[in-house]
Amino acid sequence: MIQCIEGFQTLFLRCCDLDYKQSRGLEDPELLARETVFSVSEIEALYELFKKISSAVIDDGLINKEEFQLALFKTNKKESLFADRVFDLFDTKHNGILGFEEFARALSVFHPNAPVDDKIDFSFQLYDLKQQGFIERQEVKQMVVATLAESGMNLSDEVIESIIDKACLQPCIADFTFEEADTKHDGKIDKEEWRSLVLQHPSLLKNMTLQYLNREIEEDEIPSRSSIHPFGERTYLKQ
Amino acid sequence: MQSPVYYALVNPNLSILMNMCFIFQRITIPEIMKDEWFKKNYKPPVFYEKEDADLDDVQALFKDSEEYRVTEKKEEQQPTAMNAFELISMSRGLKLDNLFDVEQGFKRETRFTSKCPANEIISKIVKAAKPLGFDIHKKNYKMRLENVKAGRKGNLNVATEIFQVAPSLHMVEVRKAKGDTLEFHMFCKNLSSSLEDVVWKTEEDMQETK
Repeated sequence: MIQCIEGFQTLFLRCCDLDYKQSRGLEDPELLARETVFSVSEIEALYELFKKISSAVIDDGLINKEEFQLALFKTNKKESLFADRVFDLFDTKHNGILGFEEFARALSVFHPNAPVDDKIDFSFQLYDLKQQGFIERQEVKQMVVATLAESGMNLSDEVIESIIDKACLQPCIADFTFEEADTKHDGKIDKEEWRSLVLQHPSLLKNMTLQYLNREIEEDEIPSRSSIHPFGERTYLKQ
Repeated sequence: MQSPVYYALVNPNLSILMNMCFIFQRITIPEIMKDEWFKKNYKPPVFYEKEDADLDDVQALFKDSEEYRVTEKKEEQQPTAMNAFELISMSRGLKLDNLFDVEQGFKRETRFTSKCPANEIISKIVKAAKPLGFDIHKKNYKMRLENVKAGRKGNLNVATEIFQVAPSLHMVEVRKAKGDTLEFHMFCKNLSSSLEDVVWKTEEDMQETK
């Protein structure tokens, strides 16, 4: 009787293996550390963060779009063109959910020690909204409008839109920047042109680096004693 | 534990100090600073920040050389156009820092957008900063505000610059150039309350949700 149950258990686990593998605990931090810019302790700290984010809505060890939005905006009601692009780029398996491996590999690009070329590639794909392998003028304009439209003030959508539409009817920065970037004058910004633009304006990549991924602590303007939890709350002991 | 041979060639006080850095109980920076060896000929640092911006225009105001005067005659008609991707990168959806719930500390720079014409923005900033005790140095659409009174880390120096997003929309960058970051934070708070009618959206607004 007991053997029967055990047999059933093994069969059951094997059936679920596909999804089970993805949502299992931190299996091999050394492997991930070898294949990313992270150290083993950084991987472990990242896993703690992953657990927190992935259990917010459904506790299944996976991050879905809603949990991702929640983590980024502290609300799941915010639609964002950019958050969608980021999620899609993280989701290399294209199954609408992020396992820890996808999460860690994607965030590795944002580490201060990651190669600049990786950051350049990632940001290019990010802004290539239609994923055509190049960035069009219209996409640049769309992104400028989307950024300006992100609301905080109590302006109604129509008011915001009318302000932005009026502003962007005339030549605006989307046009100037596009002209500057499109050195081949073929109406597209390809990867090479993006690379030159970014190397000329390094600040364009500043959001591609997250200092918190690096576990070194900044000393500047922090009282001499502070306790920092990995990717958690920082508490200060006031002098 | 045996010290490596080369320690013997060095000042014995230094060698003891270095050993303390390698043993289990790691010595802390404040303890190092108290050590005799360290204190010898030690001069405490003077705080001055590395200013990234091009200081040519500010220096032009102070240096009365012919060379700079010639450049000044050609006044910029329009504020510099901001790079579109610079603006886009300020979007909240691209600020993955928010995934980490870490206390970010006080920022060293902030931005806001305005629908007012650039000249009006400048005069409003000047009007707001003067009563707070700041000297104004202006060139084209860049300004340097210097607190006459010294603060915790010297005189607070704030650099502002106006960028054009569209003919009727501007982005103003307010950046700490020198001094204490907390004082800068307080300055920004005061400034924003005086600039209520100029500001369309602050960077914080853009970060917040409805």
